[in-house]
Amino acid sequence: MISAIYNFALTTGANRVIRGARIEHVCGDPTLSAEKDYAFGMRIVTTALQTLTIAVPGPTLFDPMASGKEAAHAS
Amino acid sequence: MRLEMGTFPVTDITFGRATRYDAGRLTVDCDAVLAAVRQDPRIASAELEIAKPGESVRIWPVRDVIEPRIKVEGPGVCYPGICGREIATVGEGRTHRLAGMGVVEVSSVNWHDAGGDFVETYLDMSGHYGEMYPYQKLLHLCLVVEPDSTLNEEVKNYAVHKAALTVADQLGEAVRALAPPEYQIFELTPVDPKLPKVIYIWCVHSPQAMSGSPSAFCTATYGLTQLTPPWYLHPNEILDGALTGPYRTAFAMSWTVANNPLLLDLYRRHGRDWNFLGVISLRTEWTTQTEKQLMANQTAKLAQQLGADGAVVTWDAGGNEFIEVVRSIQACERLGIKTVFLTSEDDATDGAPTMLEPLPEADAIVSTSFFKNVTLAVPEAPAVARVIGLPTKIVRRGSTIGLHGGVDGAALPTAGPLPPPWRYDDHYGFTSLSCIE
Repeated sequence: MISAIYNFALTTGANRVIRGARIEHVCGDPTLSAEKDYAFGMRIVTTALQTLTIAVPGPTLFDPMASGKEAAHAS
Repeated sequence: MRLEMGTFPVTDITFGRATRYDAGRLTVDCDAVLAAVRQDPRIASAELEIAKPGESVRIWPVRDVIEPRIKVEGPGVCYPGICGREIATVGEGRTHRLAGMGVVEVSSVNWHDAGGDFVETYLDMSGHYGEMYPYQKLLHLCLVVEPDSTLNEEVKNYAVHKAALTVADQLGEAVRALAPPEYQIFELTPVDPKLPKVIYIWCVHSPQAMSGSPSAFCTATYGLTQLTPPWYLHPNEILDGALTGPYRTAFAMSWTVANNPLLLDLYRRHGRDWNFLGVISLRTEWTTQTEKQLMANQTAKLAQQLGADGAVVTWDAGGNEFIEVVRSIQACERLGIKTVFLTSEDDATDGAPTMLEPLPEADAIVSTSFFKNVTLAVPEAPAVARVIGLPTKIVRRGSTIGLHGGVDGAALPTAGPLPPPWRYDDHYGFTSLSCIE
């Protein structure tokens, strides 16, 4: 699940939570040029797809801006 | 900061040849009041109607309920900053208020045009649905007002709310020079240093993220509605209307904010049970986790710097705004500030948590109930004899709203039986509603 307010996703039990940008634009950034906005969105979506191949022990947060690596477990 | 509050209880409202107050009886010069409203060229139509408790009357749409308050001595104006009013710091001097009544802003104008945020509140002056509102017990002067249809939504909001404040001002002028029947002094006097220091953290929705505008109409702090870092307000400023205006649910109106029983109780018991430090007003609906946490941290830091031993927290919204609210509670507790949370609860349907992010630090919670009218099994409001406002009401239905059994978006006669709006929240504990076991 891609979410800007990722704590909700974690506390409601989503297993793979990907950090999105903002509530208004979860997979984009209108302050960027069209080209960079596309790349930014692709990075988030690609991270989301990659996490499907990763086994997780429970609700887990992934940060696309941290090279797609696992960022934190829900406590 | 010392505020003398003169209260003029209103026991009857009639129309007459001059606007005046006499022993509880408020006479309103309808033509003169409407002439003041119509001075604004943005106003296309304006009428006044009176509604009394117990009447078979339905008022729709109710955008706001305003208690007339007027500055008699001291700087500024009541309800400062909003709709272009002056922004001098209020809370000093003398204010007169007309108690037991409201000026109801009745208009088809929606909050903003971003969608999904509709005015839904109607008010029945008799019957079970209106009983859930504190406003059913008030006498009302209703301003039915429409702006020039060619204006944009923000200007329309500005125009109709300014018009309602103009009506309130006109009524307030009637008691400016009179000696108030009731009189109270509000001052945070020095108290026994051993008393615990208590801060009120009052979370207020900002429409900025939803509307895309930093100046969209909503509950305003000196007229500002955008996302801002926490404000420190003297409670007298709030009694003079520095925090004012409606939010979409019926329990966040100008009247509600000015009469918040929690604020008044915190004040009343200052020097006896605690040392009331004042109000931190936190704007909510920040749109990243980082911003939400930052506001929570700064709110708690401010409370700590003010010396708070304890905090009471309220909010006026729902959804993602819960994060900065509950994280503020957590941040306060981690700084050693004992915190109590007054809140409505979310619907537990399908096993969802009644709080979006339950945190162990939020361990002292006062529930003001679930406020989905379907959950409360609030039946349809029956037909009424008279309607003030629009003749039809669009009824929205669907799984998220919880209203079923009819066509979504159907326009029903306002005078006929109507389902109650899908939810409302008793943010400040006006009623005795509590959690459902």
